[in-house]
Amino acid sequence: MNFKEFNARVFVYVGMFGSGKTELAINTAVELKKEEKNVALLDIDVISPYFRSRDKKDPLEEMGIKVISPPGALSHADLPIITAQVGGYISNESFFTIADVGGNEDGATVLGSLKPFLDRVNKKVFFVVNTLRPFSTTFDEIVRNVKKISAVSRTKIDYLINNTNIAQETTEENVKNGEELIKKVSEYLEIPVAFTVVNEEMDFQGEFPILKLKRYLAEQW
Amino acid sequence: MKMLFKGSEAIAEAAIRAGCRLYFGYPITPQSELTEYMSRRLPEVGGTFLQAESEVATVNMMYGASCTGKRVMTSTSSPGFSLMMEGISYMAGGELPAVFVNVVRGGPGLGDIQPAQSDYFQATKGGGHGDYRMIVLAPHTIQEAVDLMNLAFDLADKYRMLVTILADGMLGQMMEPVEFPPMRDPNDVPEKDWALTGAKGRPPRKVTSFHIDPYELEKMNLRYQATYKKVEENEVRYEELNTDGADIIVAAYGTMARIVKTVIHMAEKEGIKVGLFRPITLWPFPYKRLNELADTVDTILTVEMSYGQMLEDVRLGVNGKAKTPFYGRSAGVVPTPTEVLDAVKKAIGR
Repeated sequence: MNFKEFNARVFVYVGMFGSGKTELAINTAVELKKEEKNVALLDIDVISPYFRSRDKKDPLEEMGIKVISPPGALSHADLPIITAQVGGYISNESFFTIADVGGNEDGATVLGSLKPFLDRVNKKVFFVVNTLRPFSTTFDEIVRNVKKISAVSRTKIDYLINNTNIAQETTEENVKNGEELIKKVSEYLEIPVAFTVVNEEMDFQGEFPILKLKRYLAEQW
Repeated sequence: MKMLFKGSEAIAEAAIRAGCRLYFGYPITPQSELTEYMSRRLPEVGGTFLQAESEVATVNMMYGASCTGKRVMTSTSSPGFSLMMEGISYMAGGELPAVFVNVVRGGPGLGDIQPAQSDYFQATKGGGHGDYRMIVLAPHTIQEAVDLMNLAFDLADKYRMLVTILADGMLGQMMEPVEFPPMRDPNDVPEKDWALTGAKGRPPRKVTSFHIDPYELEKMNLRYQATYKKVEENEVRYEELNTDGADIIVAAYGTMARIVKTVIHMAEKEGIKVGLFRPITLWPFPYKRLNELADTVDTILTVEMSYGQMLEDVRLGVNGKAKTPFYGRSAGVVPTPTEVLDAVKKAIGR
């Protein structure tokens, strides 16, 4: 996937809880870093206590990606901390910046608070959908989720992403069913589908461009 | 059809499928997703979600709701479970069935929000006051947690006992593909001839843990003990993997057992045959089978995300017949497979 095609400097990932935003944000950062000097990943997830971008801060920073998260021991705190640097990396024109936003409307509220920064930059907002997650399995549920998150994050959604999966056990049929459902949502809401996400080893051709996902967060066991 | 669920969400859905329509709880990391899931999902199926003002209030709501004979549950994490202990003891004395889920985090005290197994003693040896027992089930995958929920409610009803699902934060937070059993009709549960349902056309009933006459209270206690004995005889559950002809057997439960499953493959490459003994019921603990296994190996290594709690039960089971070393990390630190492999090698002098 060539992320340059989206003609954005700031990539924002929103969606429901557990839809796959963090893995996508990390993949985007790693991909952009291949060509760009300055890439920053903003962990502004105030919802998840485990499996966050900040948990992979060391390996990502070794790749030269700047990871912005609460400092030191505070990164493990059960507190909704957004550091002041976040606004700076959104505004800094010399950086490609990826924002990993927390799930559900509670997570997206953070984005609403960053509106003064986000409105002034070239950004694209991606709404991630996994149709095999609870509360995201039907047309009505997904439409309602997109509208709700768009409202509290005070931003329009530029793209939908089909991230339909059940981790390593995902079948092509799963992905295809996800495409069909998300296509209907896309047509109804008039929001284009940016791409479909598949596991690295899967050879799938569907209606939309393909992103082969490398998983960074799962434990080695 | 399989779906992708977080452990906490999956336990909630599985409880609903098992016929639970009453949930009382107070959010606490790392299991707030369970509470949140119930708040969304229970109204959809005609159930009641009630956020209590504290865990103390929660457990007393559980007491009252369970008296009606309905399937009730709550979920919490370590400090919250401590707060529930008084009510748990009262419920045990009242012989009330209910399901508790404790998604354990680092302790003692406020501890941290990372995964641990350090509430083993609290779950299996009391926690509250008095001579009571709880059935304690320890899943090691999200699918197993789902599968155990039906069992948890059935055992609770069958024996009029409390059942605790003891999971750790990792199981609460990780995501895996799961398949759910079909929805059970919440009214299709065995008649409870003790439940408080209004006493119309029948003599009133009483649920209590109290008797002022010590001989009467003793009778109640002997009844509890007789139930516990039946459970010990009939409900022991465990998994064995690779134990036949093993160089060493590792005893582990929950997330720790998952890690040992990885260690089995790593050790195989180094020519060491590692067996896994995984208790699924932590109470009643599988002492008898462990004692048999102790005849087949020199060493049974216990590994925990705590500092030697299950170890005491392993030693009771082994009863001196094999060496029983220990390896554990806790406080929210999860041992890596390499660390466990090193402990295995050390235990057998390799």
